[in-house]
Amino acid sequence: MKLGHVLVIGGGGTGAALLHDLVLRGFSATLIERGELTSGTTGRHHGQLHSGARYATGDREIARECMDEVRILQKIAPEAIEMNYGLFVALNDEDREFAPEFLSACGEAGIPVRKISPPQALRMESALNPTILAAVQVPDGTLDAWRLPLHFFATARRNGGVILTFTEAIGIHVKNGRITGARVRDYRAMKDYDIDADYIVNAAGAWSGSVAGLAGVHVPVTPAPGTMVAVKGRLTNMVISRLHPPGDGDIIVPQRRLSIIGSTQWQTQSPDGVVPRPEDIAFLTNKAAEMVPAFAQAPFHAAWSAARPLAGVYAGGGTGGQDEQDGQDGRTLSRDFIAIDHGAEGGPAGMVTVIGGKATVLRAMAEKTVNIVCSGFGVEVACETATRPLDPYRSFYGGEVLP
Amino acid sequence: MSTNGPITVRIARAHRPAAATSFTLTLQPGATVLDALEQIRVTRDETLLYRHSCHHGSCGTCGMMINGEPRLACTTRVDDLEIDLKPLPTMTPIGDLAVDPTPLFDGFPVPAAYIRESETNRDGQRPEQADRWERFEDCIECGLCVAACPVTQRFVGPAVLAGYNREIENHPERENELLPQVDTDHGVWACDRALRCSAVCPTGVYPARHIAILQRKIKKG
Repeated sequence: MKLGHVLVIGGGGTGAALLHDLVLRGFSATLIERGELTSGTTGRHHGQLHSGARYATGDREIARECMDEVRILQKIAPEAIEMNYGLFVALNDEDREFAPEFLSACGEAGIPVRKISPPQALRMESALNPTILAAVQVPDGTLDAWRLPLHFFATARRNGGVILTFTEAIGIHVKNGRITGARVRDYRAMKDYDIDADYIVNAAGAWSGSVAGLAGVHVPVTPAPGTMVAVKGRLTNMVISRLHPPGDGDIIVPQRRLSIIGSTQWQTQSPDGVVPRPEDIAFLTNKAAEMVPAFAQAPFHAAWSAARPLAGVYAGGGTGGQDEQDGQDGRTLSRDFIAIDHGAEGGPAGMVTVIGGKATVLRAMAEKTVNIVCSGFGVEVACETATRPLDPYRSFYGGEVLP
Repeated sequence: MSTNGPITVRIARAHRPAAATSFTLTLQPGATVLDALEQIRVTRDETLLYRHSCHHGSCGTCGMMINGEPRLACTTRVDDLEIDLKPLPTMTPIGDLAVDPTPLFDGFPVPAAYIRESETNRDGQRPEQADRWERFEDCIECGLCVAACPVTQRFVGPAVLAGYNREIENHPERENELLPQVDTDHGVWACDRALRCSAVCPTGVYPARHIAILQRKIKKG
């Protein structure tokens, strides 16, 4: 006997982890995504598995959660994780003076870090700028932004979750103050139909504002696109970050045989069809070359943009530790995520919107959100996603399914 | 190089009226075929179906026939004034340019899904053999090699065979188990060495080389 039917709107990383958690806890669940899975923001992710070091000086709890999830993902989704570690490098005196604060913040957040002498750092990563003044190694890594969610989708579907791609929510039905389902458009069959649901989870990320609007409620989400630039060649083995408070163009992530610098950030009204601003490409390439000079000579591979779903309406008072000088650039918004139970805020009962967050903590976001769903149904079911290994991603396509 | 003037994109759309198959657009310099498709979907026709995710040649979802050649839309820059787009012919059509890649995954060895165990830099040394390691595996499972292969008889195809060789390289102890599985008429011996797979591979896997290595290993055994 299922606990009830939950409709998840949005097939990004968050939706993937939600669907998996919902079916494990005994719900019947359906996920709709208006395009291909992870075609919104998730797939265009930088590919960094965050140890939390980047966020430690701003918010210890977010940093601690990242570290917890790094340990969990290594166990449940090893196929999509490369534990290659990360190096924060100081390029000037200001960076070097930031080091003690950075080290103690990481320590307080439970992130194991190690100071590395510049000569040793150069032995480990010969492409680094030889003038670095200090280096700290952290347990960052690289994740596969497509295959990590596929692990969750594959497992969820085997456990009975239904996944409908190229299917968009075009209406949300409310009766007597309660959610009863959604009107959806199937772009393959070119037809509209209704899906009955006892509960809706809006996981549409940067698009969650318009989905919430279908139910007549408002959610504070700011689409904040960023650009990334990839060059050919794996210039470094580890993730290389600038040893300073989070800013633009300060992380190089190696993915397979590519090196990727990110990112920038701006604000936009619509998250659809964002493309790189031409000036971003030269800016990012120059910033990358400060840390890894060879980046400037490496052959260009690709430049792309994606709209982050930042939780909140930017006002310069975020909690994510984004101490950027410019209060208008969206980095002042929290990188934490929020889950809004609309019934508790005067909206229709049976709907929660989850926004913000980071790819690294997708599982934790789902756990907290499904806790809210459970309380909406008046049930308590323990979450098991932290300990259950996920199916191989290839099994999503009907291939092998391990017992 | 890219054009600043308007370009025409023609898309094979089996069940759509002719008016919905040709679009004239102006793109920003450096734009890719995927950027063009996004512009069409967002500003002209929200019903256009195509797959995409990473936008930088890492996920392997956006393979399609671009002016007759199997390529990734996300890393193919718009260089021509006219672009013809068709779905990959070797996968199951979903609609427009979108395909179901399940046929590609049918023949992979079992188990072979997992990449080699994660290594770490914990001891502060660059690990030995680091240059040789294939991170996340280089094959992005886009299926372009299968679309390019001219073999018409039953054939598991270059992607699967490259996967077999990679699995054997990563786990030499499995050689005796895996080699017989591809020592068949529709396995390595169906390859006629046209080398088209290696020519179109967007990540430099060179599947034809893996097939030749498998053939040598079988002959040696």
